[in-house]
Amino acid sequence: MHEMGIVIKVVKTVEDFARNNGVTRIDTLVLQIGALSPVIPRYVESCYPMVVKNTRLEDTRLQIDVLPAMARCRACREVFDVLEHKSSCPVCHSGNPEMISGNEFMIKEIVAF
Amino acid sequence: MDTYKIIEIKESVFEDNNQRAELLRSELKKERTFLLNLMSSPGSGKTTTLVRTIYALKDEMAIGIMEADIDSDVDARTISKTGAKVIQLHTGGMCHLDAEMTRQGLEGLGTQGIDLAILENVGNLVCPAEFDTGASKNAMILSVPEGDDKPLKYPLMFSIVDVVLVNKIDAMEFFDFNLDVLKERVSKLNPGIKVIPISAKTGEGIDQWADWLRGEVKMWNNNSDCRSL
Ligand SMILES: Nc1nc2c(ncn2[C@@H]2O[C@H](COP(=O)(O)OP(=O)(O)OP(=O)(O)O)[C@@H](O)[C@H]2O)c(=O)[nH]1
Ligand SMILES: [Mg+2]
Ligand SMILES: [Zn+2]
Repeated sequence: MHEMGIVIKVVKTVEDFARNNGVTRIDTLVLQIGALSPVIPRYVESCYPMVVKNTRLEDTRLQIDVLPAMARCRACREVFDVLEHKSSCPVCHSGNPEMISGNEFMIKEIVAF
Repeated sequence: MDTYKIIEIKESVFEDNNQRAELLRSELKKERTFLLNLMSSPGSGKTTTLVRTIYALKDEMAIGIMEADIDSDVDARTISKTGAKVIQLHTGGMCHLDAEMTRQGLEGLGTQGIDLAILENVGNLVCPAEFDTGASKNAMILSVPEGDDKPLKYPLMFSIVDVVLVNKIDAMEFFDFNLDVLKERVSKLNPGIKVIPISAKTGEGIDQWADWLRGEVKMWNNNSDCRSL
C-alpha cells in the first residue's frame, strides 16, 4: 500500500499552497482520482486522518471525486468507458483503444475561508 | 458570517515526480552514467541476476548497485562480494522508489566515474511501475514459477519496461510456462519490447542480456545530445 506516502505528499503540497496564498483555514480538500489510478480512494480516506494530525489540515474534510476511465477507439473514434465495456469498443468491437483519462491523481481544489 | 472560497489548485500529484525524474535523467546523461531500474516480484531473481551481470561486465565498465529494501541489507552484502560498489537504501515501508529517493541513493553511491548504475527496486509489480525513477531504461524480471499469465494481471508493469528477463528457465520443465504465449501477451501490451530468457543459476542467456545492456550503456554514454529514451 503506497497511499500513505502519497497522502503525506498531498498534504505537504496543500500546506505549501495555503502558506503561499495566505489561506488560513481550509474547510475541504478536493482530490480527483481516476478509476484506473493506482491510488485507491478507500485507502486514501483511511490514512488521511492520521496524516493530517498536527498539520494545517487537521480539521479539513476530504472529498474524493472519481473520474471515469475513458478511451477512444482507434478504428472508429468512439469514446467510451473502458471499465463498463471491458476495453473493447461498444460500436465496432475493436480492442486496444487509446486511453484518454482514468489515470489521474489531482489535487483539484480547496474550499477555504 | 463565513465566506467560503473555492480555490483551484489543479495540480497533478505525480507530475512533480515526472519532472524530477526528467531532471535526474538529464543530469545522469551529462554525467555519462546509465541508470537501469530493475523491477520484479519478490524472489524472482533480481539479486542473483545482478551478480551474474556484474561478473559479465565489470571488466569493461564501472558498476554501482543500489539495493532498495524495506529494512534488510542481505542483498547489499551479497552484491558487495562481487567487488562492485553497492549501497543499501532502506525504504522504510514504501513500496516503491520515486525520483527523489533515487537521487538520494545515487548521491550516497556517488555516480562520478560510474558508467552503469543499477537500482534493484522494491519487489512488487504494481507500485514501482507507477513512478518514474529517472532511470535511462527500465527492466523487469519475470521468473518461470510465477507463470506466463502475469502480463494479464500486471499490464502496466509490462507496458513501461524496455526489456523483460524471463528468469529460472532451468526450471521450465516443472512448470506450465509457455514462452511463446508469454511473448505474445507481452508484445500485445508493448510492441517492440525485448524478451530475454535467462537462468541466473546456470548462466544461460546472460550473454544476450549483457549484450543488450552493453549496447544501451554505450549509446547513453556516447552521444551527448541525443537521448535514447
Ligand atoms: N532455479 C533457479 N533459481 C534461481 C534462479 N535465479 C534465482 N534463483 C533463486 O531464487 C531465489 C531468490 O533469488 P534472489 O536473487 O534473491 O531474488 P530477488 O528478486 O533479488 O529477491 P528479493 O530481493 O527478495 O525480492 C534464490 O533462492 C535464488 O537462488 C534461477 O535462474 N534458477
Ligand atoms: Mg534481491
Ligand atoms: Zn470502434
